[in-house]
This record gives sequence, structure tokens and C-alpha cells, in this order.
Amino acid sequence: MTGALPAGFETLEPFTAIWAADTAQARADLRSDQTADARQAFYDAMTPQLHAALDRLDQTPLAAHDDAEARLMRLALSYAHIGMAIEVQGPDEAKHAASRWRLPITRAPADA
Amino acid sequence: MNIISPQFSPVADEVVAQHGTRPIPAKPYYDAAWFELEREAVFRQSWMHIGHVCELPEPGSFIRRELEVLNASLLITRTKQGDIRAFHNACTHRGTQLTDDAQGKRANFLCPYHMWSFGMDGALLSAPEFERFHVEKKDCALKSVAVDVCAGMIFVHLGKSPPDLRAWLGILADQMETLPVAKATTFSEYSYTIKANWKLTYDNFQENYHLRFIHPRSGQSAFAPENPFGYPKDYGFHDPHRTQTIWTNPDPKPAPLLVSAFSRLVPHATEQGLLGTPYGRQYFALFPSFFMLGTPLQNFVHVVYPISATESRGVIRLYWVGDDVNASERFGREVILATARDVHAEDLNVIEAGQRGLSSGALDHIHFQSQEVLCRHLFNMVEQAVHQHLKDRERA
Repeated sequence: MTGALPAGFETLEPFTAIWAADTAQARADLRSDQTADARQAFYDAMTPQLHAALDRLDQTPLAAHDDAEARLMRLALSYAHIGMAIEVQGPDEAKHAASRWRLPITRAPADA
Repeated sequence: MNIISPQFSPVADEVVAQHGTRPIPAKPYYDAAWFELEREAVFRQSWMHIGHVCELPEPGSFIRRELEVLNASLLITRTKQGDIRAFHNACTHRGTQLTDDAQGKRANFLCPYHMWSFGMDGALLSAPEFERFHVEKKDCALKSVAVDVCAGMIFVHLGKSPPDLRAWLGILADQMETLPVAKATTFSEYSYTIKANWKLTYDNFQENYHLRFIHPRSGQSAFAPENPFGYPKDYGFHDPHRTQTIWTNPDPKPAPLLVSAFSRLVPHATEQGLLGTPYGRQYFALFPSFFMLGTPLQNFVHVVYPISATESRGVIRLYWVGDDVNASERFGREVILATARDVHAEDLNVIEAGQRGLSSGALDHIHFQSQEVLCRHLFNMVEQAVHQHLKDRERA
């Protein structure tokens, strides 16, 4: 899962080894399994680039994304889960994770 | 300059008092004997939501669904002619379940035991040495179950003389047809199992009294100083179903992530004409255990399926119109999934704590305040169905 990202997004490349997970459940698990520091570092790196990344990815149909684009897409999708931890749950995130595993994600369009 | 803040008044107590003010007996929320009555009185007599037409995209498509409450395994199929049919997953030879696949596409169902083969229309196509049996093929079709569709959603009825689905849904049928679910082609899904009675579980999702305590973070847009409990604007009673119109917080302060998601979802939803539905703020609570809120960008359906008097499972789906059109839509849908799941994760423990208290037998009664009238209405409808069932049984 490691590797290059499209030009302009090189600063996010250190995060691909962990955060470019390929299913919604795997991304939800990352949110619970990674440390608070790891979540925060990913959030801080991704936040200023989120909209630029989506604009860049929107230029190509999903099915035609190359490996680098697909990887950037998966980072953005992980951000969907990490944003909940940072922006919504905040100090309650650890407590919240203790119940969240009870709701397995059985299907998401991004998994297809 | 005067700043006029909009005032909110919940539905007046005297308006909802027509549904009664009595304490509610606690036993139906844990008692196994009462649950046995509900199986027949409530679940066998109701249309139950079981899937969506998008799961049966072409002739030969099928889904298998378990309805524990009626001890049924069902196969819902799309026939060669394009019709949707439903059958018991039981070979008519000696009862063997035909498949344990959850879904798929095939030309026929082949019983693994003696190779009886059934078409997607349920007809027995072939069986080895069939001439040695003392029965005709036409009498060996799979046992069919009543099935119908409203707003793209598939409903089944396992009772003896099912009413027409649309008549049973009343005016709610046409209202649901205006929502994204009616046009959906795909969905996100998550599920849970819970050690709690189906009514206790369901009730959690039809009262807002708990929001500020259980969802102080994830639910913060649902309440505000002018409506501190986030009570609905209105209730509707369409026996045995009910609705509530959710209150719109004029100053919701959504998390930046959610703002990003909405901004990424709106352009395509606008193109698709999803933003104009008049029923997008109406919560549909179909009897016995179905919910839907069809807001334009997050049309969710939540069904509580009973397993026993004190165990249930829930399935939550977010329905989407069209495959992800681009990265923005894919991102927005993932955020909506994560958001909804966060809220539901917060409810499970407190519902189970309620079940443990009730199952101890300590309480003779529970109490519903006026803004928990939907919970009261559900109990009234269930009790009425059980009493009717007992009367019918006596007569028979």
C-alpha cells in the first residue's frame, strides 16, 4: 500500500503506508487501532490538502484512476473516519471506540 | 438592532394525550411468553422490509434473508420475466435449505441433498427419478411468500391473507416514493446485534429526549438552547405507523468534515433532482420495526429484527442514487457512513442497560412523557394486535 501520490501531494506520501486502506471497514478499524498522535498527525497533514486532492481526483473517472490516484483517494476516505475522531469525538474518542466495533460495516460503494 | 431568535414550541401535551397517559406494563419488554404472542400477532400479520430492488438488478439475481422472529429463511428472486418473487428457502422434497449464499445470480436453485432443481419462479424444473414419487411436479414448487415493492423497498408478508401493501402503508406510500430510496441503485450498510427487546431498541430511535445526554458530541446539531431536547416539530399517526417531522436547527454548527462532505455531495445531488423532496425532514416509522429518514443527502433506513424477547439485530442502510460519480461523491458518502455509525454506536450500551433493568423484573411499569408519544403509540399498536390475536385464537 506504500507508494507515490500524484504530483503536488508528495508531502502526504509518508502516510500512505498506514492510511491507504482499501475498504470502509479497514479504514474504520484504522481509526480505532492507531494512536491519538498518529491520527492527529494524519489529520493535520491531510486537512489543508483535502479539497485540492478531491479536485485533482475529480478530473479523472474513478475507474480510470491510476495507482497513485487510487492511493490518494484512499487517504481521503480514511480522513472521513479520522475527522470524526478529531472533530466530533475529541477527548471521548477512546471511549467511543469501545462501542463502535459492534457495528461492522458490511457494504460501502467505495468497496465495490 | 434587535436580533429575533426563532422560538420553538414542541407539540402540545394535550394534543398527544389522545394516545393515553397511563403507565405502560414493563413485562412486554422482556417476557418470553409475550414475545411468543408478538411473533404471530405482530410479525406474521405485518409487511416486513427485507431488501431493495437494487439488490436484484437482473433476471436470476437473488438474495437470502433470515427472519428469525418467524423462524424463516427466505429467497427473494428476480425471474426471467423480471418479476420479484419470494420463497421459503426449503426444498419441497424433504425441507433441505437450498442455499446459504447471502446473494448471487444463477439460473436455478439446486438442492444439495438429492439434486432437485427449482427455477427463479419457484417451479420444480427437474428431480432425479421423479417418476418414483407419488406427486406431480406442479405441486412441488417452492412455497411462496407474499412480496411487494414500495419506494424501491422490498416487503414480505408471511401471514395467511396479506392486505395490499400500498393500502397497508396508506398515504405514507406515496410520500416515501418521493425520497432518494425510491431511485436508489446502491447503498452502504452496517449492522449490530443487541441484548435487548426489539421494542426497547426501536423506542430509542423514536424519542429525542435522550439526545443531549447520549449524543452530546455527535448529536449536537440536533438540539439548541431554544429546543434543548431537540424535540420534533410535529407528529403524525397513521395506525399502525407513525411519523415525526424533525426540527431544523437554524444554527447547527456542523463539524468541518461534514461541511466538506455536504459541499462535495450537493452538486451531483442537485443534478439528480434529489434536493426538492417535501418529505425529507419526515421520519417514517413503519409498523412494526422500520425507520426511515430520507433527507436528500443521507437517506437512511434502519430495521430492528427481533431474535428473542431480549435479543435483536439492527441493519442500517444509507441508500444512494447511482454509483459514486467521482471522488467527491465517494468521499461524501464515506463521511455520511462514518457519521451515522458514530451516532448509533453511542446508543447500544444504554439500551442494553435498560434491558438488564427491565429483565430483572424490578419494575411493574415504565413511563413515557408526552414527547415520547411515538414509543407509547408503538406499544398501543402492539398491545392492540396481541389482544386481537388472542380473541381470534379463542374464536378459532
